[in-house]
Formats: sequence, structure tokens, C-alpha cells
Amino acid sequence: MAINILIVDDSGVMRSMVQKAMQLSGLAIGEVHQASNGQEGLAALEGHWIDLVVADINMPVMNGEEMIERMQAQPDLKAIPTIVISTEGSRTRIARLEKQGVRFIHKPFSPEMIRDTLKEVLGGEVFHERSH
Amino acid sequence: MNAAISSRLTEVTTDTLERLAFIFASPAADGPVVEESELETVRVDFSGGFTGGLELSLSASVLVELAANMLGADEGRTLSADEQRDALKELVNVVCGNLLPAVAGRAKEFTIGTPYPANAGKRGWETPVAVSHLVLEKGICRMRMRVDGPLPEDLACLAQAPNHHHLAELG
Repeated sequence: MAINILIVDDSGVMRSMVQKAMQLSGLAIGEVHQASNGQEGLAALEGHWIDLVVADINMPVMNGEEMIERMQAQPDLKAIPTIVISTEGSRTRIARLEKQGVRFIHKPFSPEMIRDTLKEVLGGEVFHERSH
Repeated sequence: MNAAISSRLTEVTTDTLERLAFIFASPAADGPVVEESELETVRVDFSGGFTGGLELSLSASVLVELAANMLGADEGRTLSADEQRDALKELVNVVCGNLLPAVAGRAKEFTIGTPYPANAGKRGWETPVAVSHLVLEKGICRMRMRVDGPLPEDLACLAQAPNHHHLAELG
């Protein structure tokens, strides 16, 4: 089974870095969709089958926290595993996100941090055998 | 100029350059003499616990290395000017996101804006609250932090001596 991913970040460089780290993780990746803010992210979720959302918090138009709140309000979206990759340092905001079932990775991240979190969230079955 | 905040700025910028872009930096006691025309400068504003901005100036000669390292670009691939600018903007964004909790503590919430080129945005950079000069292998990096209004007195970094513990805590 290949995982369809949506990466939401206002930086094209960061979206590329996240995608590259995921490819290195050994995850069986299907389609990769990208969005540059929460509003575009929600539109992508409406138009495509997505198995995993990876989002930043601070973005123009609609931030990641609002996007996740809107996902939680929609029965067909609330179960999609979501990972926030952000520089966020506020304990309060991180706790608020984790309460919604979101996993948090701090920027700057290492490929190992991405791999370990993906395995915890998705399980080992969706990884190629060569991954550690 | 606030020495405690400047110290945090140096620590966070050095750590971010190394971890995000594999670029090693050393603090310079005095600002190296560099023509402004040799620097690429971006800024980002923030609000929340307090309001202000962060400015990052990097030698133009380091831009390609920065973008190539961040993107893991293969040797020989030509990186566009947009990719180089985007890498610089993401660098100031990540430094800012890591600096604010290091300065203000992790109880305060901040909203970080979208980074922008130095020829746009707010004034107030003539009297920064903190400055950091770093020497890189192929150039320099200069950081300046602006605070709008009086500096809050309850900042976490003012209550403790500079150290690296907060970075380990955040990492």
C-alpha cells in the first residue's frame, strides 16, 4: 500500500525538504500533493484521497492550527493522521495540537526524526523493507 | 543593545545554520567589514508575547550553498534565484521561531509573519535590541532583532545566564 501525502507549508524549499526526508525514510509513497496555506490544504483534501497530512503552523491566509480545527470538524477528514512540522515553541499551543491527536516535529528536523515519527503514526507495514 | 538577547541570537542562529543547512558559523566579536551591497537581507515580523521583527543578512556568496544544502540538491544542478531567496526566507523563519521561546520562555505564544525582502516592511531597524555577527567559511551572517515599544521585563532570558540548555530542550 502506498501512502498519499499532503504537505502544507508556505515555503517551497521546506516542502521539498519534507518530501525528500520522507523519501529517505523508506515510506511507500503514492501521490504527493502540496499546498502553501491551510485554505489550499483543505481544497486539496476535498479533491484528493489523502492518507497523511504534514503541515506547518505559521502560514498566511489560513494557518495550520485553523486548518486542523476545520479538519477535526469534518467526519471524513478528522481521522486522517496529521503531523505538524514547525518552529513552534509555545508549550500551550503544542499541547493544544497534541490534544487533537496531532504529532509534532520541531524545525529544524533530521531525516531520522521524520522516519521515526512516520513509523509511530503509520506503522511499519507501509515502509519498504530496506528502511531501518 | 541587550547582551542576553544578543547572546541567545548568536546561539540560535549558529545552531539553526548548522542543523538546517550544514553551515558552520563562529561568533565575531566585532562586525566584519562588509559592503551592504554584498549582502542579501530578509526580515520577518512577529507578534504575541511582544511585537517586533528579526532581520537576517547573509553574504550573497553563501546563498547557493545555503539553498543547495537545504534542498539536498545534486552537484551540478542549477538553483534558481527564487529557490535561493526562498531558502533565505525559511532560514530567518526558523531562526525566529526558535529564538522567541529562547528569549521569552515557552509559556508565551507568538505569531510569526511571512518573511519579506529588506526593502519592504516596517522601520525601526536603526536601533535594534540585539545584534549578532557570525563568520562563515565563505562569508558572513548578520542578525538584528527589533522590538516595538519597551522591552518586556519578564523575558525568560533576562532571568538566567546564557547557556545552551534551552536549545537542547527545544530540539
